[in-house]
Amino acid sequence: MRPIIFALTICFSLAASATTVPDRFETLAKQADTARTQEHVPEAIRLYREGTKLRPSWYEGWWFIGTLLYDQDRFSEAGAAFEHLLASPRHRGPALAFLGLCDYETGKYDSALARFRSWASAGWGGTPEFRDVADFHFALLLTRDGRFVDSLFLLASGAPRLGDTPELSEAMGLASLRMKYLPENYPPEKREQVWLAGKAALYAAQLPKDFARADEYAARLEARYPEQPEVHAFRGTLYGFEGKKVEAEREYRDELKISPSHAPALVALTAIDLEKGDLAEAGVLARRAIEADSSNAEAHHLLGRVLLAKGDLQASVSELETAKRLAPGSPAVRSHLAMVYSRLGRTQEAKAESAAFLVLKNKEEIMAPPEEKLRATAREKAH
Amino acid sequence: MRKVLVLAIASLAACAFCAPIAAAQQAPAASKPSASKLSPSKPSLDQLLQAASKARDENRDEEAIRLYRRAVAEEPESEEGLWFLGTLLYEKEQYAEARDVLRQFLTLRPDAGPGWAFLGLSELQTRDYSRALDHLQRAMAVGMGDRKELIQLVFKDVVVLLTRFERYDDSLNMLLKMLDGAAQQPDLIEPAGLGGLRLPLLPAEIPPDRRELVDLAGRAVLALQTQQYDEAKSEFKRLVTAYPNEPGVHFLYGAFLLQLQPNEAVPELERELEISPTHVLARIRLAEALIAQRDYDRALALAQQAIQLEPKRASAHMMAGEALLAKGQSDEGIKELEIARAGDPAVSRTHWDLVRAYKAAGRKEDADREKKEIEKLYHSNSSSGPSAGGDIPRDQGAP
Repeated sequence: MRPIIFALTICFSLAASATTVPDRFETLAKQADTARTQEHVPEAIRLYREGTKLRPSWYEGWWFIGTLLYDQDRFSEAGAAFEHLLASPRHRGPALAFLGLCDYETGKYDSALARFRSWASAGWGGTPEFRDVADFHFALLLTRDGRFVDSLFLLASGAPRLGDTPELSEAMGLASLRMKYLPENYPPEKREQVWLAGKAALYAAQLPKDFARADEYAARLEARYPEQPEVHAFRGTLYGFEGKKVEAEREYRDELKISPSHAPALVALTAIDLEKGDLAEAGVLARRAIEADSSNAEAHHLLGRVLLAKGDLQASVSELETAKRLAPGSPAVRSHLAMVYSRLGRTQEAKAESAAFLVLKNKEEIMAPPEEKLRATAREKAH
Repeated sequence: MRKVLVLAIASLAACAFCAPIAAAQQAPAASKPSASKLSPSKPSLDQLLQAASKARDENRDEEAIRLYRRAVAEEPESEEGLWFLGTLLYEKEQYAEARDVLRQFLTLRPDAGPGWAFLGLSELQTRDYSRALDHLQRAMAVGMGDRKELIQLVFKDVVVLLTRFERYDDSLNMLLKMLDGAAQQPDLIEPAGLGGLRLPLLPAEIPPDRRELVDLAGRAVLALQTQQYDEAKSEFKRLVTAYPNEPGVHFLYGAFLLQLQPNEAVPELERELEISPTHVLARIRLAEALIAQRDYDRALALAQQAIQLEPKRASAHMMAGEALLAKGQSDEGIKELEIARAGDPAVSRTHWDLVRAYKAAGRKEDADREKKEIEKLYHSNSSSGPSAGGDIPRDQGAP
């Protein structure tokens, strides 16, 4: 995942930014380029540094200082060089991702996550290979931040291209087991669990889906760790992907025996009950999910749907509005909110929600990470 | 235990490394005095390095570190300062800082094998496993002189990391090189067991309830690798008796039996496929055993399933090719063997298969070319492969 960066970064080579330049600067720039292409790295770095001293706005110079240092694993120094590129609209995107990578490598994880978010907002710049590296680290940080679904979304998007990669399966294992850790700091005794879950998740994310192998690893995980929290919930999710609803329900119920307040399992069971028309249990489970995690948008959404099905429109709208506040990018929430507003005679609001639903539904079909879609939605709202 | 060994190695390596660096430093230091030399209140770089060296010799490590830090602040490209600061920090278990200092050192001295070794060892401690493996392998490629303890440590950690990155065959291959006839190496039992069972864990990551399993497998693999076949068989039997339903166990035993009693291997490999239905290598090795028993239809079916599961696995194509040739489907067989050759050109068995197939098809020039490839492989000595628990050995197949 890591060593390809240098080769990729060369693709960003840009023309010198000024047309009239002093001789000394031009000579230095040429010498630096020559040293770089001849792989005299320390010399190239020294020359680029001299060049940027002469001309602090020489973005190409900063770019090569940053990428050459990054390639030598000198992340603090590389980060300092990339900071200079934030003022350049042309370099800003990839520089933000590099800053995220440098912050990650120097242990500044919160800052790294913020950098990657900015990178996403700036349009996920970089070559496809560079994006794989940045996406991977972004996903690791999302897992650390407890954003497991978002993390898995990013990792699973790259899985068919990257194939059976040990680093990728480890990252997917951590997110699948909802462990707020990075690969370098999770408890060693959890390694076998993470590996088995990761392999199952990775095979399930291949194109075409390799559910046979995913199931084999998931079965090993369950056989080895039947009493561990998250194991049955993960198996339930996998069965859900495979369309095996009965098995999924059984696993979620097994998870609740181990972790009675497991919000994702409660939410999943609520959805199963709703589909079966068991509104009584669905309502109980949705309320338990909200009690366990009041910020769970899907729990509020499902309770809103239960209440809608029962005809309690006022209570339903309240839950759905909460869900909308928590997950403004969810098209399903908007759709149900439009239904309830309509039945309450709140026509204008119903129309607005229907329109939002259509915009978001269109975006839902695009394989784009959630931040990007949320950002686009917010911009559309502002307009 | 490991710490004590490492301390000894670090000191040993540091002393041995010191001379050339010091020599290299002398000329520029004498001809081009640093600005600090002109200041009477500040010691020169040479003075700092001398004082640091004295403190190090007298085991005043904290003082030595403080002085080397000052030297490096004074002259960031002081190779001597960076080297001793890095290795002392490693000894003091300040791995993250040691790593950063050694990285700086290696930008100046990429030819320093022990530098890559200590960088990799530091990264192993900070759990940056991908870089650790890269850098330890670089240390091996560059060379570490005659520092036997350091070399042994680096080899062992490479074995362990290759397993963690699921490169089990490479790991077992390396283990074989390490053993080199030496039978008893207790610190290799766990790495051997993990590689043999194809469990991508570090020894420190083995769950307590798996230690016995890994230990049993490790003893069996080591006995096999050192060609103590009776002991190996006895250990394998203990393993399958104690863990009859454990994934990987019957495959390991079956792969062992293939070398000695191929007929007995078949039920073991079949049992593995009952436990691990998508086990690619169990299919391949079972196909191999069935070809030996002239059951070509079943062998071909298994090889084709293995190809479907893992299209890039060269040995699966090789087995499919052998089965097809045996069934008289020469063109299809040659195609599969050519895919196998492209996937892993260092497997002599594929070339032998192709020699025979091309000859039978009247393609003399192609057959001669394959013979030359076999000769090249023989002379490069790169065709040796694992003998325990992995893919089909690369040096099999000679008539």
